[in-house]
Amino acid sequence: MTIALDGLLLAIALAAYVLGALALMLFFFARQPIYRTLGAPLAIAGCVAQFVQLAVRFETTHVWPLLNLYGSLSLFSAMSVAIFIVFAYRYNLWFAGGFVLALAAIFLAYGVTWNEGTMPPVPSLQSYWAKIHVPIVVSSYAAFLVAFVFSCIYLLKFYAQRAGGAASGWLESLPALPQLDVIIYRAVAIGLPLISVGIITGAMWAHEAWGAYWQWDPKETAALFSWIVYLGYMHLHTRHAWRGLRTSWVSVIGFLSIIFCYLGVNIWISGLHSYKV
Amino acid sequence: MKAATRLYDDFVLTFGNVLFAVCLFVVWGVLTLIGVVVDQGQSPDQYVQTYAAPIARAILRLQFDNVYHSPWYVGIVGLILLSLAVCTFKRVIPARLPPLRPVKIDKMPLHDEFEIEGSESTVQTRLTSFFTTGGWRLRKRTIDGAEWSFADKHDWARRGVLVAHAGFVIIAAGTTLYWALGFSGEFGVGDGQAVRVARTGAVMRLNNFTYRIAPTQTKSGIVYQPIDYVSRVTVSGRDGVARNMTVRVNHPIDVDGTLYYQSSYGFGLRFLLEHNRHPDATVGGRTLLEGDSFDVPGTNRTVLYERFIPTVDRSNGMPTADPRVNDPAVALAVTQGGVPVGETMLPLRGSMDLGDGWRATPERYVLYSGFQYRHDPGVPLVGIGAFVLLAGLVISFYFLPARLYVQVDDLGNDRCRIGVAATTVKGYDVFASEFARLMVGLKVSTA
Repeated sequence: MTIALDGLLLAIALAAYVLGALALMLFFFARQPIYRTLGAPLAIAGCVAQFVQLAVRFETTHVWPLLNLYGSLSLFSAMSVAIFIVFAYRYNLWFAGGFVLALAAIFLAYGVTWNEGTMPPVPSLQSYWAKIHVPIVVSSYAAFLVAFVFSCIYLLKFYAQRAGGAASGWLESLPALPQLDVIIYRAVAIGLPLISVGIITGAMWAHEAWGAYWQWDPKETAALFSWIVYLGYMHLHTRHAWRGLRTSWVSVIGFLSIIFCYLGVNIWISGLHSYKV
Repeated sequence: MKAATRLYDDFVLTFGNVLFAVCLFVVWGVLTLIGVVVDQGQSPDQYVQTYAAPIARAILRLQFDNVYHSPWYVGIVGLILLSLAVCTFKRVIPARLPPLRPVKIDKMPLHDEFEIEGSESTVQTRLTSFFTTGGWRLRKRTIDGAEWSFADKHDWARRGVLVAHAGFVIIAAGTTLYWALGFSGEFGVGDGQAVRVARTGAVMRLNNFTYRIAPTQTKSGIVYQPIDYVSRVTVSGRDGVARNMTVRVNHPIDVDGTLYYQSSYGFGLRFLLEHNRHPDATVGGRTLLEGDSFDVPGTNRTVLYERFIPTVDRSNGMPTADPRVNDPAVALAVTQGGVPVGETMLPLRGSMDLGDGWRATPERYVLYSGFQYRHDPGVPLVGIGAFVLLAGLVISFYFLPARLYVQVDDLGNDRCRIGVAATTVKGYDVFASEFARLMVGLKVSTA
């Protein structure tokens, strides 16, 4: 019964994201309010379904659901949508929702392929830090995903304008480049403190579990690399001349580094975090 | 003297430049990434086998096999600290909002003007009330006969970058403290045995080690998931008092300021070595850990105890993934004069002919527990630094120092025009939406 509920909620979330992505994609190009009216509730419904699904999994298995790639990717897509919804309501940014929901659906679907069922956690994961460190780190990744989407939109608009073909209505209806830059900055300003807290709590956990707060494990160093990239972003953003185009590219590189840190290191490079798969 | 001054100025100009700091970040990032991609701490042969010869040579010559402790890495972190210090003193500390002086409101990128009813004094009173209740620090000045109001918010927050930089320096100091005064190591101890840790003088006796495995059915088959590793030990520290303690993963024990962690476990092995059916004392009483070896007396043969195999599949004689001890076997390798001559998997209590009348028998196994120990006096400093760094980031990102320039013009007939312009230490765009909301609020409250 509960397993069926788990699967049902997952299916609802995936369907909501796919349909919501289609609706908001249409809103991006056509700017008909009806598409936003359709897409926004679907985004919220998918996000709620995901959080309920994670809660149901925890309630039925009594195993913290974020201890494997399936669980953490579920939270990653749910948090990406949640952060985007907050941004969309606060700054009226539903036009970008199609891209965020499409990425959320892709990551969620990919996560399902790693679902091996419920396994008891290995000793090093049996810690209260799992309930602190993992959600914080995954939330930072989600904030960077939102920044990445707006960076891509910034770059799209910038290069389209520069090519001189900027007259199309959908492009003109996007916020001005400086406004897009501020949105990216705000998303990174959520992600950077979160990944900093994530690295710090990870270090505290490592101190308890492995005997050293920093072991130069590939996962740690990949996270450090991403942190350095976003630190570079913030420093460049202090310079007016570098704000906008260059910082948007740095944000794109930053998100690629996050994906490498999140998936690449877990899957391809063995280290102390290998059990997470 | 002039040359020295010029050199100093160039140094300050370079190291105080944000773009130079970003260049250092790029190098730091690239070196960090090299350490992620290139397996660290392997033997030179490993790199030669893994990479093409020129790349393997480059990895070894440039110390990319241990990049995080290479001069490049330590050097770049040092340069970043230097740049951070210069930036802090030359840019961060002197940075402040502009002095209180009149501005041309309509020339400022962020500005708004509107007319309202009321005398100038009434409007001024409403303005004062609006800004002070909104948490703005209001200062009034009469400049060139005109009355100006300057409203500042979060002026203190320009210290956020300074706080973040200080946090980074404190973390660096904490890690340096470990390099200078800290130490770490590891050891294995078998059930019923005791080990004296030379560095601390502590004596640890392993009373009992247990591990728990849960065979779990997954979609890809059975996974033997480890659930718990527990070492029950008796430890004597500096005071010589023996204490019974339990060490498990995520629960280290503290003995005289040094932490001991459960890090691994394994199977020690007792061998019976015989020569022409007579027991030989060469390995008698010795427990070999995985990776240990012993020499066969009178020959140049060496027997290496590679690893313990807890369960062998009876149907095909191959090792299984089950880490619980059911049908155990032992993987052994024999070398002659350093040259491998053979490998074998021997059932426990099975014997192996080593030639010249020698025969080895793995008689029984002993569980051993692996511990790591670490004394790190820098941990509190690193913790404080992390907290300070985080506080600096939060202050920098979420508290924006801003200034409003407010002018009230009396238009006569009980009407006034209010002009407001804004500036921040981070430009105008980042404050645009808040400024728009502020103006809406101002129009409502002064109407």
